[in-house]
Amino acid sequence: MVGRVLSELAEHRGRVILVIDDLHELNSPDALAQLTRLLTNLPGDVHAVLATRRDLRLRLHKLRLAGQLAEIRAADLRFSERETRELLDASGIALSDTGAALLHQRTEGWAAGLRLAAISLADHPDPERFVAEFSGSDRTVAEYLIAEMLERQPADVQRLLLRTSLLDRVNGELADLLTGHQGSERILLQLEDANAFVVSLDPERTWFRYHHLFADLLRLELRRTLPEEVPALHRRAAGWFTEHGQVADAIRHTQAAGDWPGSARLLADHSFSMTLDGQAQTIQALLRAFPPGADHPELALVHATVDLVQGRLDEAAAHLAVAETYVEMAPRDRQRRLRVAIASLKLSLARRRGHLAGVTEQVTFLASPVTAQSDEDIALGSDLRAVALMNLGTVEAWSLGLPDAERHLREGAALARRIGRPYLEVSCLAQLGFASKIRPFATARRRCLEAIALAERYGWGTEPIVAPALITLAANVTWTGEFDEGARWLQLTVRALETDTGPDIRLLVHIVSGMLRACRGRHDKALEEFSAAERLRSQLEGSHALANQVTGWMLATQARAGMPGKARASLAAIDDERVGSGEIRNARAVISLAEGDPAGALGAVADVLEGTAPVVGYVTVVEAQLLAGLAYRELGDQRAANQAAERALALAESDRLVLPFAMTGSQELLEALPRHETAHAALLADILDVVHGSSLTAKDHFSAPPAEELSPGELRVLRFLPTNLSRAEIASELSISVNTVNTHVRNIYAKLQARDRSSAVQRARELRLLATGLPR
Amino acid sequence: MDPVPALYTIRIKGHLGAAVLSAFPALEPQRHGAHTVLTGLLDRSALYGVLADIEALGLELLEGPPAHAEKQIARIR
Repeated sequence: MVGRVLSELAEHRGRVILVIDDLHELNSPDALAQLTRLLTNLPGDVHAVLATRRDLRLRLHKLRLAGQLAEIRAADLRFSERETRELLDASGIALSDTGAALLHQRTEGWAAGLRLAAISLADHPDPERFVAEFSGSDRTVAEYLIAEMLERQPADVQRLLLRTSLLDRVNGELADLLTGHQGSERILLQLEDANAFVVSLDPERTWFRYHHLFADLLRLELRRTLPEEVPALHRRAAGWFTEHGQVADAIRHTQAAGDWPGSARLLADHSFSMTLDGQAQTIQALLRAFPPGADHPELALVHATVDLVQGRLDEAAAHLAVAETYVEMAPRDRQRRLRVAIASLKLSLARRRGHLAGVTEQVTFLASPVTAQSDEDIALGSDLRAVALMNLGTVEAWSLGLPDAERHLREGAALARRIGRPYLEVSCLAQLGFASKIRPFATARRRCLEAIALAERYGWGTEPIVAPALITLAANVTWTGEFDEGARWLQLTVRALETDTGPDIRLLVHIVSGMLRACRGRHDKALEEFSAAERLRSQLEGSHALANQVTGWMLATQARAGMPGKARASLAAIDDERVGSGEIRNARAVISLAEGDPAGALGAVADVLEGTAPVVGYVTVVEAQLLAGLAYRELGDQRAANQAAERALALAESDRLVLPFAMTGSQELLEALPRHETAHAALLADILDVVHGSSLTAKDHFSAPPAEELSPGELRVLRFLPTNLSRAEIASELSISVNTVNTHVRNIYAKLQARDRSSAVQRARELRLLATGLPR
Repeated sequence: MDPVPALYTIRIKGHLGAAVLSAFPALEPQRHGAHTVLTGLLDRSALYGVLADIEALGLELLEGPPAHAEKQIARIR
C-alpha cells in the first residue's frame, strides 16, 4: 500500500499536498508503522498535513531533527483577540470591542467555541446581551453554545438534529424517516450553508455528517429528553440500511436498539455474503458487540465463518454442527438460506482439510436448482456457483494437481468478476497461481503476480486470500535460485497469514522455509521446517499434491543431517503406494549415499530416470539425475557422472532450475564437468554462483515480453549465442549458411531490442528463451 | 494493568448540564465554585473511557487522576 502511494506520488509532477484528517481514528500499530514509513519517504515536493485530536505514536523524530516537521499544537490554534475580531467581522457580526474581548476571554480563543458563538450571534437581535449572558454563565462553553444554537432553531430543525444524531451519516430520506416529516434534505442543505457544524460528504451533497462535538452533545440531549424513542429510532434506521443493502450499518443499529435476537438473525443471514466481500473483520467486530453470555443459536453459523477464515478448522466444525441442529428449528422461509450458508462453509472446511470427496459432495448440493426464482435467489445462486468453483478448483489443485483445477478456478474468477465479487475473484486468481505450479515457471509467475496486483488494487495485498499466490511465487523464485527474492515473498506470505492458522497453507510456508535453508546447507534448520510440514500434512484428511515431496525431503534432510538410520526407519513405515513415488525413491537414494552405498542409490532412482515412477513434476527427475551423478562419482565412474550431470542441466534449462543442484550438494559433481562437454554453460555458471553462496537477482519478473515472437530458426541460432562459437561455427553446427545465421542474428537483436551478442543473451535469459526444447 | 477499581476525582472547568452529565453515569458530580468535580470508582479502562469522553465533549480538564495514572495514559497513547 505504502509503496503504491509513494510510486504514484513519484509519478506526479509538481507540488502535492497530502491531507490526512481524523488521524486519531487510526490505532493499529501496524498502520501507524506504515504511515511513518510513508511520511519519512515522501518525495521532496510532497507535503503532508496531518490532523489529529491527540498525539500519535508516529516515529517522526528524524523529520523533526531535520527541521522538516512543523507542529501546530492546541495553544497555537487558539484565536488571539485580534483574530477573534477578524472572525466576527468576516461573519458580518456587529459587536463592540468590549463584547469581542469578553467573548474571547470566555471561550479562551477555542476555535470551535468561537464558531458556535458566531452561528448564534449571526442573527441575534442583541449580540451584546448574548455575550454578556454567555460570560456570566458558569456552564461549559460547548454546552452553553450548543443549547443556545439549538434553541434558536425552528422546531422542525431541532427535531431533525436530535433524532438524526444517532447516525454516523445522514441523508434526506433517512432523516425524513427518523423525523416522520418530509423536507429534511432542504434543512440539511440550509444548515450546511449556514456553516452550522453540518458538512456534506459527497460533491452532490446527499450525505451529511455533524461535527463530532455537536453530534456527541446532540446524542446526549436526545437520550436525556426522549429516551423512550431511542430504540425505535435505531430500529427505523436499521430497516432503512437493510433495505439499501448496507448490512453492517443495519446490524449496528439493530444492536443499538437492544434487539439482540434480531441482530443475530441479520448477521447469520448475511455472514455468507459479507465473507464473499472480504468483510470478515467487520463480522468479528459485530460479533464482539453482543453481550457476553447471551446465547443465540444463530450465531453458531457466524462463529463458524470466522473460525474458518482464521484457519481454526476444528472449532469451525464444532460450530457448524451446532448451526446444523439449529436450522431444523428455524422458520421455513429462512431454512434454504441458512442451509446454503452451512453447505458453503462445509465446502470451505472440506477444502481446507484437503478432503476431496467432501468438497464434491457439497458442490453437488449447492448445484441443485434453487426452487424459488426471486432476484435474491438468483444472486445467491451465482454467489454459490462461484464459491463452489473456487473450492472445487482449489481442492483439485491441492490434493491431486489436476489440470481441471485451473479450468474451475478460471471459471470461478470470471463468474466472480461478472457478479461484482472482486474479493472472490482475487481468491480464485490467487489459488490459480498455486494451481499453475504444474505449468512452466514463467506462466505460474505471471499468474501469481497478476493475482497479487489485483489484490493490491483493492487493498487486500496482505489478506490471507493472497497467500497461495505469494507462497507459490516464493517457491517459484527459490527453485530458480533467487533465494533473496524467495525469502522476501516468504516474509510477505507470513505477514498475510497473521490471522490465518490453517494447516493447509502453513504447510506450504514450512516447505518453502525448508527449501531456503536446505539450499544453504542448513540441514538441521531445514529438517525442522520439513518435519513441521510433515506434521501438518498428516492433519489433512485427503492426499496432498506435495505430500510425497514433503515426506521425501524430510527423509533426505534427515540423512544429510547425519541421521541416515533414523531416516531408514521412517522410510520403512511409509505405505507401499507412496514408497514407489519418485520423491520417496530419491529420498531412499540420499539415505543410501549417506550410508556409503552408491549402488543402492542407483537402484533407488532407476525407475525415476526411466520415467516409470510417478512424480510430482519433472523437478523430481532433475533431482534423480543429480543423485545418480553423485552415486557414479562415488563408484569412480566419472564419465557416467558427467552424463548424469549434463542430463540434469538439460532438463533444468527451460525453467533455469537451480534449487535441486544446491539441495543435493552437487557442487563437486558440476565442477568436475568439463566446460566443453556441456551445452548449458550459462546455466552452469549461474548454478555454481549460487552454490558458492550468492543469490541470483530477480530482474526479470516484470520485463515486458518481446515485441515479436522469435521464429523457430531464430530460436535455434539464439541458443548458440551464449557459447564461444563464431557465426561461421554456428552455421556449420546447424548446417545452414553464414548468411542465414547473419539474418537470424539481426532479427534476434531487433526483436529483443539488443545492441550486441551479450545483451541479446542477457535479454533472452530474462525472457527464458534459452530453453533447449526438451520434453518436460 | 490494575484490575481493582480506584476512587478518582476529576475537576472540570464550568458547570456541567444534565445532558453532559448523562455521559458520566458512573461519576458523582459536585459543584465547587465555577468548577465541577466528578468522583467515582473506576477501573483503568473505564477511566480512559471517561477521559476520552471529556475530550470528545470539549470539556476542559483542570485536574485529573493522580500522577501515576497519568503516566500510564502517556504510555498507552
